Amino acid sequence: MSTASSLHQSRKRKNGVMMALCVIAAGIGLAWLALILGALLYKGLSGVSLAVFTQMTPPPGDAGGLLNAIYGSIVMTIIGILVGTPIGVLAGTYMAEYGRFSKLTTVVRFINDILLSAPSIIVGLFVYELMVRPMGHFSAIAGAVALSILVIPVVVRTTEDMLNLVPNALREAGTAIGAPRWVVIRSVAYRAAMSGIVTGILLAIARISGETAPLLFTALNNQFWSSNLNAPMASLPVTIFQFALSPYEEWQQLAWTGALIITLTVLALSIVARSLTGRREDR
Amino acid sequence: MKPMLSTDLNAVDTTVEKAKIEVKDLNFYYGQSKALKNINLSLPERSVTAFIGPSGCGKSTLLRVLNRIYELYPKQSAEGQVLLDGKNILDRSQDLNLLRTKIGMVFQKPTPFPMSIYENIAFGVRLYEKISKAEMDNRVELALKRAALWNEVKDKLNASGLSLSGGQQQRLCIARTVAVKPEVILLDEPASALDPLSTAKIEELIDELQAEYTIVIVTHNMQQAARVSRQTAFMYLGELIEFDRTEKIFTSPREKRTQDYITGRFG
Repeated sequence: MSTASSLHQSRKRKNGVMMALCVIAAGIGLAWLALILGALLYKGLSGVSLAVFTQMTPPPGDAGGLLNAIYGSIVMTIIGILVGTPIGVLAGTYMAEYGRFSKLTTVVRFINDILLSAPSIIVGLFVYELMVRPMGHFSAIAGAVALSILVIPVVVRTTEDMLNLVPNALREAGTAIGAPRWVVIRSVAYRAAMSGIVTGILLAIARISGETAPLLFTALNNQFWSSNLNAPMASLPVTIFQFALSPYEEWQQLAWTGALIITLTVLALSIVARSLTGRREDR
Repeated sequence: MKPMLSTDLNAVDTTVEKAKIEVKDLNFYYGQSKALKNINLSLPERSVTAFIGPSGCGKSTLLRVLNRIYELYPKQSAEGQVLLDGKNILDRSQDLNLLRTKIGMVFQKPTPFPMSIYENIAFGVRLYEKISKAEMDNRVELALKRAALWNEVKDKLNASGLSLSGGQQQRLCIARTVAVKPEVILLDEPASALDPLSTAKIEELIDELQAEYTIVIVTHNMQQAARVSRQTAFMYLGELIEFDRTEKIFTSPREKRTQDYITGRFG
């Protein structure tokens, strides 16, 4: 009796210690996030004005905005997504559907996982060698290509995972009614996995909209308005990088504001992605 | 009654009836392991045949050979002959999609497609027929009536198929299968995931459908086999042990193993 109760006591103590450690660890993790968000809001919010969205990046010492950088980020992100998503979705479809039992799929998945965790600066250097050097100059299109290379592994992974979650019974049912393979994939598997695949694309947007390193070697930066895809183009992350390191107060303020804009965009995308996944689980 | 002295496994009293499907010397392999051993049987047209036997006996495997759905997976292979109206469907030249429009299948777990109730049925029809909206409406209604589901869903045809209850989903799957006008319907334990009331409805449905279709049902539930089928095949360890009229199997089986199984001594 007494051994049982002392055993019970010691288990209770261990449980208490473990729970405390876990709560502290979770608290530390959340604290950083709160600190970063807090600092961004505190420093960035004061700089938010209409001028940020209507004026170009200023020369040192002048007032100005981030319009060209915001525009550049949006353009390169959109092109990156438009190029990367179809490749990613089709590759993921191959792996989960046509090549589900093939050796090639295992190899592709392994390489894709490496690409997924590859430092983005290496992707930037790769595109620099591939496009910037042969073309002789930095360009927005090279930046977009670098971003699309970062999009592909994210989309491949989520597409494959989401399609793998579609029960085989559903594919069998589609097949049993006489539907050819591609119709089963298009009308049954894609539909069942749609919210998950869209979530993956949103996460990919979130990932690339904050990337700096691959753009440094490709799109570089541009002090002025430019919509020419064949010329250097400004982007929010690179502008933040440049302005934050500068000694000029106006530039530093714009860097904080730009950082706030990116963070809030990524936050919004993540919330949308999360709500889509949530809806899926509700079903 | 004529004396049953024959040892032929096909000694079912179906000589006067036309065989819809004839299985001849069928062997089936999962990789190296042999799952079906030399199966011979013939399924009469417009009647219900039940496959019974303990888990792993090969009854579902045999069913999955009949529409070649096993070919979705690598390393599964069949040899021998399966004749549908005298034509070997295991032949390489057989178009698989066309075969499956002739031989429909309903699975153990209800598998509505992630689309509306209406679309669940129209989907299969649209694959091989170009018909007007009015005709399609008609087809959908007919199929749902055939599956005794129309009254429950007629006011919410645009609702998701997933919003229905399990029993309704299964009847939707039957409606979907019937809508493409197959000749044979394969049922793989269609009621095992359902409550008794839904099960009764499905069984009633099977009883009605046999006037038009050749039906094959795999079931774990022996009472169900006895209730719905006209002939029963008892399988054990990949072999067809006995195939006969259902009442014969359940009252005076020839084989001791059949007797042991139906009286609950194993399985």
